[in-house]
Amino acid sequence: MAFGAAQARRIAAWTVQVDPAVFLALAAGVILGFLALYPTVMLFVGSFSDAPLGVAGRFTLAHYARAYGDPHTYLLIGTSFVFAAGSSAFSVALAGLLAWITVRTNAPGRGLFELVALVPNVLPPLLIATSWVLLLSPRIGLLNLLIVQRLGLPPLNVYSMPGMIFVEGLILAPLAFLIIASALRSMDPSLEESARIAGSSSLQTARRITTPLVLPATLAAGILNFVRAIESFDTPAIIALPARIDVLTTKIFREALADYPPNHNLAATYAMSLLAITMIFVYVYRRLTDRKERFATITGRGYRPQAIDLGAWRYAASAAALLILSLIVLLPLGVLVLTSLLPYYAVPTRETLGLLTLKHYGFLLESTRVARALQISLTLAVVGATLAMFLAAVVAYLTVRTRVPGRGALEVLTFIPLAFPGTALAIGLLWGYVRLPVPIYATIWILLIAYITRFLPFGLRAMTGTMVQVQAELEEASRVCGAGLARTFRRILLPLLWPGFMAGWAILATIFMREFSTSLFLYTPRSEPLGPLLYHLWLDGQQGRMAALGVVVSLASLVLVALARRATKVPLTG
Amino acid sequence: MLARCGPRTVLGCLLIAVALVGSAAQAQTDLVGAAKKEGRVVVYGSMETDVFEVIQKIFEGKYGVRVEYWRAASNRVMDRVLTESRAGRPQFDVVLTNRSPMLIIKQAGVFARYTAPSYETFPAATHDRDGILSPSYRVVVVSILHNTRLVKPEDAPKSLPDLLDPRWKGKVVMPDPTQHTTTAVWLANLQKVMGAQHGAFVERLAGQVGLVESFIPSVQKVIVGEFPLGITYVKYVHIFGQDGAPLDYVRLNPVLAEAHHVALGAKAEHPNAGRLFIDLLTSRLGLLALARAGEFVLVPGVYPPIKDADKLRVVLMDDLDENELKKFRDEFGRFFLKR
Repeated sequence: MAFGAAQARRIAAWTVQVDPAVFLALAAGVILGFLALYPTVMLFVGSFSDAPLGVAGRFTLAHYARAYGDPHTYLLIGTSFVFAAGSSAFSVALAGLLAWITVRTNAPGRGLFELVALVPNVLPPLLIATSWVLLLSPRIGLLNLLIVQRLGLPPLNVYSMPGMIFVEGLILAPLAFLIIASALRSMDPSLEESARIAGSSSLQTARRITTPLVLPATLAAGILNFVRAIESFDTPAIIALPARIDVLTTKIFREALADYPPNHNLAATYAMSLLAITMIFVYVYRRLTDRKERFATITGRGYRPQAIDLGAWRYAASAAALLILSLIVLLPLGVLVLTSLLPYYAVPTRETLGLLTLKHYGFLLESTRVARALQISLTLAVVGATLAMFLAAVVAYLTVRTRVPGRGALEVLTFIPLAFPGTALAIGLLWGYVRLPVPIYATIWILLIAYITRFLPFGLRAMTGTMVQVQAELEEASRVCGAGLARTFRRILLPLLWPGFMAGWAILATIFMREFSTSLFLYTPRSEPLGPLLYHLWLDGQQGRMAALGVVVSLASLVLVALARRATKVPLTG
Repeated sequence: MLARCGPRTVLGCLLIAVALVGSAAQAQTDLVGAAKKEGRVVVYGSMETDVFEVIQKIFEGKYGVRVEYWRAASNRVMDRVLTESRAGRPQFDVVLTNRSPMLIIKQAGVFARYTAPSYETFPAATHDRDGILSPSYRVVVVSILHNTRLVKPEDAPKSLPDLLDPRWKGKVVMPDPTQHTTTAVWLANLQKVMGAQHGAFVERLAGQVGLVESFIPSVQKVIVGEFPLGITYVKYVHIFGQDGAPLDYVRLNPVLAEAHHVALGAKAEHPNAGRLFIDLLTSRLGLLALARAGEFVLVPGVYPPIKDADKLRVVLMDDLDENELKKFRDEFGRFFLKR
């Protein structure tokens, strides 16, 4: 008996060894480990070195003493926490309501809402933040002119903590929308039906059944957005500085990146605390999504949940959705379009509207730099998103479907780079890839690697969500019929996972089209993508050209999204 | 000297002179040929792209050698040049930016010696003793700019202390000196203009102003009308004024300016194209083109198309080394960080 058990264990071990999933996991582990750990180790080592990159240094704790010996750091971690928690909560509240109206009700116009909600994902955060300055600056803000002159109320002040939370929340809302809408689509409609049969009203059902069911996804979206907010440089640079509010990222910028000369080692030291904070949240996030997936696997039979009939309230729901969309899309986009049509940077008023010109669009047509950047970014978006989604599909398969040892580590590896602000990750990548004998530095390839490294978690999120809905029986049937892992993956899983694959692809492609904080450190004049070009137009004070290019990038990204939709013929949040 | 020479000596001198001119011309032809073979030149700098393109067009038109320009804020130019050099992967041939960062890069041994033919036309005081940096071929002048729609000429401040008037409280914008190097250097240099009042002025100014990242956001906020007054570069009066932006500037006396330099990378991949580029940039042709684009260049009698530019008494700022800048930031930075 004892012998039999030992033999069985040996056989089990042997089975694990020959299982192709193990090889797949090993391959994915090596790729992910290299992508995620190489820059992280570089940052970690750099944070303990007294010399800059390329110079042999000695071990030191001086950067840690400077960063964490300053009581101000803890105060700023507190301020950053308030900022990130506030904007994340605001983004989730807006996105949750919008997703519910769009996915679960019969409010008119909801098909359009979904497409519009994707637009801000294609706008660089820098542009959204500058647009909101033109809308809510206490002296010149267009909305403030309305509030003061028409309503006789005191002006709202964007240069304040509530202002920062408001703007950052709007920037973060689209990603939360994608995650929550996806969860709403995949939930089991029979529970809602049971509630209604038992006599609950629509709103009661929404509160008692729908909300608890999507709560894990909502919390997951909140945590992702919290991490994004705490490491954001854009909104703090545009709004916090004039408001004289210091957050952790402005301190990192001031002491490390704007130091004289810049101190990358100190930036790496600060990045380590962000890594610690993020890892705690990623742990919580994993716990929550694990539970969410247990809920989600109840169903997944492929039928669409029935829309809730809101009766006359459906018009109110549409109005609420329109209001939310005005905030996250229509107002900032409108300001952007007007800015692109004005000869110089001005508040679009009746007076300045007489000056409208197309010269900034003329510049875009003439400039070879713009044409090249558009070509480079499109390449990065299409190739990068495709490669990233294949990698995400493999990781999602291994973590959801198999019992391969170390599958949890794979997911954690994916999430590590998300912990760093784009700039800090760029320093780690720079330190890492500039040393490699392979000619990657100063080419488009380092950008591709950087994008995949940094944004893989978004792709993984979309893939995991879909993977749990696909029933294992189909796959098992294929295996029983003698198909190997590769064949099963290609013939059975890939077609079933296609909607999730393309949803993730669309998110990544739109982010890659306009990424700038990581690119800025890594591009050269020959490989300049759109993000840095937009930033440099801003740096040169060319607001009109920047806005015009922003509008064009948005349109190009919408074309990509539309293509992805056509490829799947289902809503992208599916 | 010629008076003491006999006719034979004069003839000899003339022959030598002709030979020298001839060999200079030959050297120039060789340089152009070598640059063309290299095919391109990579320039890292903080000059505004539109201004840079003026030189780029002349250079590419004249020599057919492509120019690739990487533009960033001066601090970031220094950062990238140092990082690439330390890692042994310099991608640049030529660097051009403000004096303070150029001196730090020079100290790091990143630049090669080079003397362009034009350098001898610049005043001796602007020459680099080590023959590495160019003379300060242009300067950037810092003053108070105002939005002419919001501030009438007679109401505009006339001097820096006028900014402390209670009516301008919260209506002046400037870059945050704790993160913008040129602004810190400017504030520190005010000491030689203001003398004993300097410390009190900086402290009170900190209470009057709104802060932004750098000089461009500063002028943008003036143009758009968020702030009627802003501390920034005078050249923006022309650069943005030509698009119709309502800008004018305060004729400070004296007005402080920071020198700019250009230099050749020691490990340039295209050294000849780099030299040729520096030659053109610092030549009379290059400088006149820069002046037309709004730059203050070091050519006697040549000014940018900005009203009263010829009447300004421009004083060059002293550069601050790393330690001086740190001391200044520690001493005065806290006024600006106060909430």
